[in-house]
Amino acid sequence: MKMRKISFGIVGLAFLFVLSVIPGYAQKEVTYLSLADYTAAIAGLNVPADMGCEDYFKELNAKGGVDGVKIKFIGVDTRYDVARGVSAYKRYRTEPKLLVVNAIGTPIGKAVAPLVAKDKLITLVPGDGEFQAHLGRVFIWGPAYQDSFAATIDWILSDWKKKGKTGAPKVGYISWDNPYGKEFLRGGKEYAEKMGVSLAPPEFFPPGSLDHSVYLTRLAKAEVNYIFVGGVDPTPTNVIRDAHKLGLTKTIQFFCDYWGPTSLGTRLHPEALEGVVIVSYYLRGDDARNHPLANLWTKYGRGKIEDMNEVYTIGMSWAMTFEAALKMALKEVGYKKLDGEVIYQTYQKLTGIERAGLQGPCAYSPTSRRGSLEVKFYQVKAGKVVSISDWIKAPDAVSLHKF
Amino acid sequence: MRPCGTFDERYSQDMAILRIKRHWAVLIGALILLYTFPLYGSYYFISLINSLSITIIIVLGLQLVSGYCGQISFGQAAFMAVGAYTSAILTGKLGVSFFIALPLSGMVSGLIGLGGGAPSLRIKGFYLAMATIAIHFVVMWLILHLQITGTTQGLHPPAPRMAGFEFDSDEKIYYIIVTVMLLMTYGARNIVRTRVGRAFVAIRDNDLAAEVMGIELYRYKLLAFFISCFYAGIAGSLWAHWIQMVHPEQFTLLHALNYIGMLIVGGGGSIPGVFFGVLFLRLLDEGVMFIAPILSSVFPWIGIHPAASMSVSVFGIVLILFLIFEPRGLAHRWEIFKASYRLYPFSH
Amino acid sequence: MKEFFQLAIPGLMVGSLYALVAAAIVLVYKSTRVVSLAHGQLLAFGGLFFWIGLVALDLPLPLSVLMTLACSIWMGWLVERITLRPLIGQPLISAFLMTFAIFMALDGIFQLILKGESKTYATRLALGELDILGVPVRVVQLISFGVVLLVFLSLALFFRHTKTGLGMRATAEDHQLSQSTGINVRTIFSLIWIISATVASIAGMGTAYVMDIHFPLPYIGIKGLIVALFGGLDSLTGALFAGLILGVLENLIAGYLDPLVGGGLKDVAAYALLLIILLVKPYGLFGLKRIERV
Repeated sequence: MKMRKISFGIVGLAFLFVLSVIPGYAQKEVTYLSLADYTAAIAGLNVPADMGCEDYFKELNAKGGVDGVKIKFIGVDTRYDVARGVSAYKRYRTEPKLLVVNAIGTPIGKAVAPLVAKDKLITLVPGDGEFQAHLGRVFIWGPAYQDSFAATIDWILSDWKKKGKTGAPKVGYISWDNPYGKEFLRGGKEYAEKMGVSLAPPEFFPPGSLDHSVYLTRLAKAEVNYIFVGGVDPTPTNVIRDAHKLGLTKTIQFFCDYWGPTSLGTRLHPEALEGVVIVSYYLRGDDARNHPLANLWTKYGRGKIEDMNEVYTIGMSWAMTFEAALKMALKEVGYKKLDGEVIYQTYQKLTGIERAGLQGPCAYSPTSRRGSLEVKFYQVKAGKVVSISDWIKAPDAVSLHKF
Repeated sequence: MRPCGTFDERYSQDMAILRIKRHWAVLIGALILLYTFPLYGSYYFISLINSLSITIIIVLGLQLVSGYCGQISFGQAAFMAVGAYTSAILTGKLGVSFFIALPLSGMVSGLIGLGGGAPSLRIKGFYLAMATIAIHFVVMWLILHLQITGTTQGLHPPAPRMAGFEFDSDEKIYYIIVTVMLLMTYGARNIVRTRVGRAFVAIRDNDLAAEVMGIELYRYKLLAFFISCFYAGIAGSLWAHWIQMVHPEQFTLLHALNYIGMLIVGGGGSIPGVFFGVLFLRLLDEGVMFIAPILSSVFPWIGIHPAASMSVSVFGIVLILFLIFEPRGLAHRWEIFKASYRLYPFSH
Repeated sequence: MKEFFQLAIPGLMVGSLYALVAAAIVLVYKSTRVVSLAHGQLLAFGGLFFWIGLVALDLPLPLSVLMTLACSIWMGWLVERITLRPLIGQPLISAFLMTFAIFMALDGIFQLILKGESKTYATRLALGELDILGVPVRVVQLISFGVVLLVFLSLALFFRHTKTGLGMRATAEDHQLSQSTGINVRTIFSLIWIISATVASIAGMGTAYVMDIHFPLPYIGIKGLIVALFGGLDSLTGALFAGLILGVLENLIAGYLDPLVGGGLKDVAAYALLLIILLVKPYGLFGLKRIERV
């Protein structure tokens, strides 16, 4: 009796395994691997982004793929752990026609990049300017962090002039005490100096802090006019909530970087975030929701359209970039000869590709690893994220820093 | 439990780790399998053995300080970081050969570990365990903020190199990692049989009694910390040159907790226990990491994220079940198995 | 002086939450000798239950508080009954690892419910700010400060004046002796986990108000562990004072020392200080020094 149960179990498991393996050999297929963090520090960003990527590929495959080639999406939860990320890459490295490794989370990207380069594939990572400074097989999704900071400096200067004030504005910076938090100023600081904006000493707090009053009080004492808050949402929201409590939001204009509050985040704390300006390289708020591609959110049963996180569209943007590269590569060499090296060459030729307006035109080229150059400014007004500018080309701050 | 019919007739026989011919046969067979593995093993498994071996070295160190000497330490991840950074700085910035940097990074980590072990002179039990958590955070903060460690950028140590031969791939560095792991295991196996090891056990069982018997507590506790941090440092150095990158976000408290977990799952106070524990938890971890994508591709309605979250739970639940049914570790079960195998067909 | 208050008062508010988490951990340690990592999750689930009541189900405030307490009583009982009771008599380190396993198991469920998003009920409880000694403080945080003191007071009364409480203190002294006087130690263990989970969930409601319900919430449990150690693992008074002191100290360090080294000192300096204090007072500030027999 017991043996019977066990053998049934084994047969069942084998069946499941076969089910999962069979589709891999049935047709022409390429693989897109995402080493993401679904259950740890930056899950808020990773989960919706990968949903977008997956849904776009599903849609694409349902329509017959790219010239008959289907795209297989594999999302692995690395839990922001480098060892896991490396192990996952090694496990999936032999997948049929693996072309792109999207490493969400810079430490994992950095650890995987040499392996990926050895296998002649490409890695996609968030926005560290380092990868623009040292050209290699690592591409970033949008403009570098320091570029977005530089664009904010420009915006501050014009705002300062608009308000009819004289002298130079003083800008404060507050973020996590970790590599990501410090990346903005590597180049951003030099840009501010170049533009004659004085930076107050930057403030760094440990991730997971309960109270940020200390840092904000100190910035306020330094008499800053503007404060740039780093961190992946909801950290910036919590910082600004503390500022709101201290009454600083009335006198100081706050900025968030592109991982700052999404419209879901602003919905949670509308009055604290009122008036905050967000520098973003992708569509936010209703801009994103009214985009035709946002329909995929409801189509694939992710929930109501009001609950769509705008980061969802970044995922689609990655998918579209990959689609464009795949199409170009298939035209040039065909499915048989398609490999990582070809994709690497193709990614460098993607300059100017449009991604349905979800972000600025693609800026990948032999000398550029930036996914796009443009940023757009959004402001929180009555709990909504509203666009207040057109696409603006972000200045190049990476080249100002010695990496 | 000795097998039936084997008697020790000479002192050297009594002291031998491998007592009968069959042991030698098994050992040599296993070594041959292990060393020829890159010839037929798949890339993933080679890399898995690399990472398992490095973890085994760390947990061996932990076994000595916690399993044998009874001083629970959560600092292993931080001391691994110290070793990794030392090695990266020595080879990358000063151009020292990896083979010199490897023992040196163990030494540096061990010496810093003496500082970490200093509280053990006054505090005991869980107080000490929590103090080592504090040490973890202090060390990691220093690594993030000192200039020499490359602050937020981390360092890129080069691949080990000997006489023009570069160990730059998983298959090549496999031989170094596995050899070092075997040497460290041999070392640990012997440390626990010496005067030092017996002193450790005495301290673990009752430190006051041990002191009354004439064991210098401070010396031996510090020695235990030194040895365990030496092991962590060696593992860190291997890790650095294997991944070829060290970054402040690689070494987290969660890793240190996992190492303690491996120790307990394997069984405290047993060297084979280390192997069992590391294999069990790491393979469980790998398993749940890869079951999620398969689950979500077979049952698309689950979705990637729920599958990933469930796999976190599965890890916890398997561990819970394990602790309920085998709280003394796999090594204990292994001993029972060996005993009943030797006594078969008699039950006592 | 104003600067000092600006640093100290937010520190007190946060410190009171640390103190409550630490109290929950101390309660468990005192009677069962188990140091618990699981309380981080009990705390996070406290916040989560409260959110479910207040926002998702749209219940009135008193009802959602009751629901949260009921759920956490149930959770505390479940955790003790399923996972820790089988370990009675096993090495304490196994029980410690068990709490880590519980942490992981619950973490998966926590993430599953969150789906990577963050949740908040802070806007439902917007009561504005109050000016105290020239420092604006959120009214809700003041209330939570009061609640913390109240919880500590009622715990003290409970342990001093009720029969169950006295039984628990007896259990804390010696398991076998108390069993021989007719106290059912198992029931006491169950009860203590229930009380401890409830205390943790109250701390969770306060903490989740400040930092929202998202990924790092359970990790406040580690902070609580450090605070419990700081005050002495078996002293409730110690937990209260250590929590408040650590909260204030963190802010003072961040306020006065950060500019000297370039930031990020808040956590680490507190840890370093803790190490030094432990070297001077090995059983924490208020911990009981146990006289050992060989």
